[in-house]
Amino acid sequence: MDAIRILLSRVMALFRGGKLDADLDEELREHIDLATEEKVRRGFSRDEARAAALCEFGGMTKIKEDYRVQRSVPLIEQVNRDLRFGIRQLRKAPGFALTAIFTLALGLGANTAVFSLINGLLLRPLPVPHAQDLSVLHFVRSDDPDSNFSFSAPMFRALEKRRDVFESVSSFSSRTMQVRGTSGNVEVPGAMVSGDFFHTLEVPPLMGRALSPQDDRKGGASTGFGVVISEGFWQSWFNRAPDVVGRRLTIANAPFTVVGVMPKQFIGADPTRRPDLYVPLWSAPVIDAPYDNIAAGHHSWWMRIVARRKPGVTLEQANSALAAVSNMILDETAPQDPTWIKRFREEHFQLHAVPGSKGYSYLQLRFEKPLVAVFSLCAAMLLLACLNLASLLMARSAARARELATRLAMGATRRRLVQQLLVESLLIAVLGTAAGMLAAPAVSQALAVLLLGNERHAVLDTSIDIRVFAFIAVSAIVSCVVIGLIPALRATSNNLNEQIKSGTQVASTGERRRVLPRVLMGLEVALALMLVVGAGLLATSLSRLYRVGFGFEPHGVANLSLDMGKQGLEGEPLLRWYQAYGDAIAKVPGVLNTAFASITPMDGSVWTAGYKTSAKGDERDLHMSRVSPGFFAAMRIPQFAGRDFKWEDSAASGQKIILNQSAAKLLFPGVNPIGQHVTDDKTTLEVIGVVGNIRYASLAEEPPPGGYFAITQNEDKKPSYTCVVRLAGPPDQLAGAARALAAKMAPEIPAPVLTTLTSDIDGSISSERMMAMLAVFFAACALLVTAIGLYGTLAYSTAQRTSEIGIRMALGARRLQVVGLVFRENVWTAAAGSLLGLVIALLTSRALSSFLYGTTVRDPLVMVASVAMLALVASAASLLPAIRAARIEPIAALRTE
Amino acid sequence: MGESKSDVLQGTLDLMVLKTLESMGPLHGFGIARRIEQVSGDALRLNQGTIYPALLRLQQRGWIKAEWGQSESNRRAKYYSLSRAGRRQIESETENWERIAATMARFLAPSS
Repeated sequence: MDAIRILLSRVMALFRGGKLDADLDEELREHIDLATEEKVRRGFSRDEARAAALCEFGGMTKIKEDYRVQRSVPLIEQVNRDLRFGIRQLRKAPGFALTAIFTLALGLGANTAVFSLINGLLLRPLPVPHAQDLSVLHFVRSDDPDSNFSFSAPMFRALEKRRDVFESVSSFSSRTMQVRGTSGNVEVPGAMVSGDFFHTLEVPPLMGRALSPQDDRKGGASTGFGVVISEGFWQSWFNRAPDVVGRRLTIANAPFTVVGVMPKQFIGADPTRRPDLYVPLWSAPVIDAPYDNIAAGHHSWWMRIVARRKPGVTLEQANSALAAVSNMILDETAPQDPTWIKRFREEHFQLHAVPGSKGYSYLQLRFEKPLVAVFSLCAAMLLLACLNLASLLMARSAARARELATRLAMGATRRRLVQQLLVESLLIAVLGTAAGMLAAPAVSQALAVLLLGNERHAVLDTSIDIRVFAFIAVSAIVSCVVIGLIPALRATSNNLNEQIKSGTQVASTGERRRVLPRVLMGLEVALALMLVVGAGLLATSLSRLYRVGFGFEPHGVANLSLDMGKQGLEGEPLLRWYQAYGDAIAKVPGVLNTAFASITPMDGSVWTAGYKTSAKGDERDLHMSRVSPGFFAAMRIPQFAGRDFKWEDSAASGQKIILNQSAAKLLFPGVNPIGQHVTDDKTTLEVIGVVGNIRYASLAEEPPPGGYFAITQNEDKKPSYTCVVRLAGPPDQLAGAARALAAKMAPEIPAPVLTTLTSDIDGSISSERMMAMLAVFFAACALLVTAIGLYGTLAYSTAQRTSEIGIRMALGARRLQVVGLVFRENVWTAAAGSLLGLVIALLTSRALSSFLYGTTVRDPLVMVASVAMLALVASAASLLPAIRAARIEPIAALRTE
Repeated sequence: MGESKSDVLQGTLDLMVLKTLESMGPLHGFGIARRIEQVSGDALRLNQGTIYPALLRLQQRGWIKAEWGQSESNRRAKYYSLSRAGRRQIESETENWERIAATMARFLAPSS
């Protein structure tokens, strides 16, 4: 109790120091006055009395100091003093201070930014109760190396019924839905969910009710399909109307009834989506019209499954239970299709459960490796920044050796000095962390945008939460200790007393003392080289990716994606609509030509179909697209033989196909393919042309054999195509014109979305781009920081050798020799560091191999260029202090002794 | 500095201050210092200033309280008075001292 009270009164006193000091002064003054008066009464003269009173009182200053010590909390006062001293020290060397803070801010900021991305995508649990009990289901087959997280409706329905290890099994499928607004349809993010979805996630609705299995039936509940909306949608669409439950929404041209509102924090089971609408799975034929995934049965894989394990059931138990029922599930999925069941059984179809607390998004799988790689780059950068600061601080404290030695000699304890030096590095760490944290949110947002690329419906929540905060705190503390403790211990070690005895720096102790800083600098050089090599490899690979022949000319092409699934036209009238729309767009200023395609290169979708030349021939997989006349001209894909499609090629005039060169060679080796036929057993098509190969869905993959159908021969009722526009200039005017034309010609469709083909291509390699950009940025920073480190440490150590150099020059050393003498100090550090870095780079660069295209991990050009660049930077940084040393005037140097 | 002034043990000074306040009632720093000197028959001449850190220490422990009041010469002065905890403390400290004094006395008594 006492201890607490004393501490409390002392801490209180901290804040009232001035007032208390004044009180004490007054009290003591009064004491002296009273004592003086007493003595005057006893017959002393006033002056004598006062002198005697002061004498009896004792040392006034000493008493006051004792009083203050008694009043204060010594540690806080000391730290306070150290802080002020540290700030003064940093102010005295603003160049050093700025460098230190900037490098640390860079390292910590980059780490925090990337960690926020990792946290948002891979670490943050879903905001639902008991997220750790969730599992995500997937299955494996022997002929497919990847896990498959997509399920068909019948397979899900079979799984849904099994409740032996799971409390509930539910599925979801994200969609962009069309909601009828005041003018036409508006796109709103949504999800189709099974009846138990909300039960599985255990989040109660804000108002109304959640969807239940009664809603998830053909045609919906007795009152038709229900829809649960998000709090955000309730706000934006209904202006938080209290009577929202029961209101109608027209989604995909069909009536839905609002049954409930979910609270703001609920985001469903995909951490990268923010659905505003949740509709039952059974409404899929309405939502997806004109397509019907439910009718497509067990051949359509379109939903993810998330399940909640029963209390006490472990993941292992769930997995063994799933393994046991895998074959049974196959039987229940497609009892009408025994050949399918047989095929899946032969391929060792097996169901698995993985932890589902973070929900499921395919972006997690796609971005995990790039993010971890980038995070390692950041960590290397932070380590480099810390090493750099440690060696700079060490060099600086060597320059302050005499100050510290004097203080040690005058009775300062080592602990006290280490504390003071640590407070200085703490100051740097705090300022650096603060600067880094200020920059981090913007950086992580920019990285998220860069990374998401074409995923325009995805969201990466990079907000700071407790994990990010803990990460920042830990990395700041660790870096503070790394940059501060080693130099502090080092600077206050015992042999410092030698410094005082010997006056200035003695070569023998100096030599020994310079080993550790050199080791640190060597490590820094090694790290810098690794970063430069990594950046070199990634950048080389990226530039090679961009230089592959695309097979088409992406510059100057804009894509307008049109969603025609929910409007009134179909068949022939719709085709004529497309033709008219294309013609209208072609009249917009700056547009050269227009065409339509169902799939444009690198837009993320893949459509393959198997074809053979005769009923008995081998079936070949072709990458398909359905295009309009003029597509090849608009894309600048060369036509090698035959002809293009024509608007007059109707379905009745016989099905036609245009092949690319690879497909022509594959299907008709040594034969002129024009006029030949290909078949898939259902339809036979006539080959009417051969065009050039193109990269289809990935720049890194060789152009696949492919073919094109005509949009004029499509039997789908309401196909949606992308309008491909070849432009003479920038697409600025196009977006507005295209929207206005669409609103005039088809008022009910959502506004067409404009992307440029070059941005589609950038987006298809977003993670490669992000990695290369960050790596190059880090490498440049690493070079800069290392140069500063090499320069700084050498400048400090040369400054200490001023008199030695003066003597050498007085004894006849020439200036060039002095340059060599100083320069050599860094040469060994840099050379050893580079060698180490090169060895480590060669050993670890394999980790990058999966990200590299057309570049081996030991690309000699990159290796040589990296070493050369580092050597150049190191030489430049070392030459400056050397030249400065050579300018020393011997007389001046000796006189300072 | 003080060959003529005996060094006062910390705990001793604390008890003297408490005891003084007990017998004299509220008193300012100078009064306490003078009183201690008088009671000790001027055998104990302390640096009067050392009383102030001691007074602060006793306040921090909650044994005495301080208040600003009027001095004899009609000026502002800080008056110290015993708290209830201070009275209890005197009892236990007194017992403690008597024990120590008795023990010491036995050691110093001429051996019989």
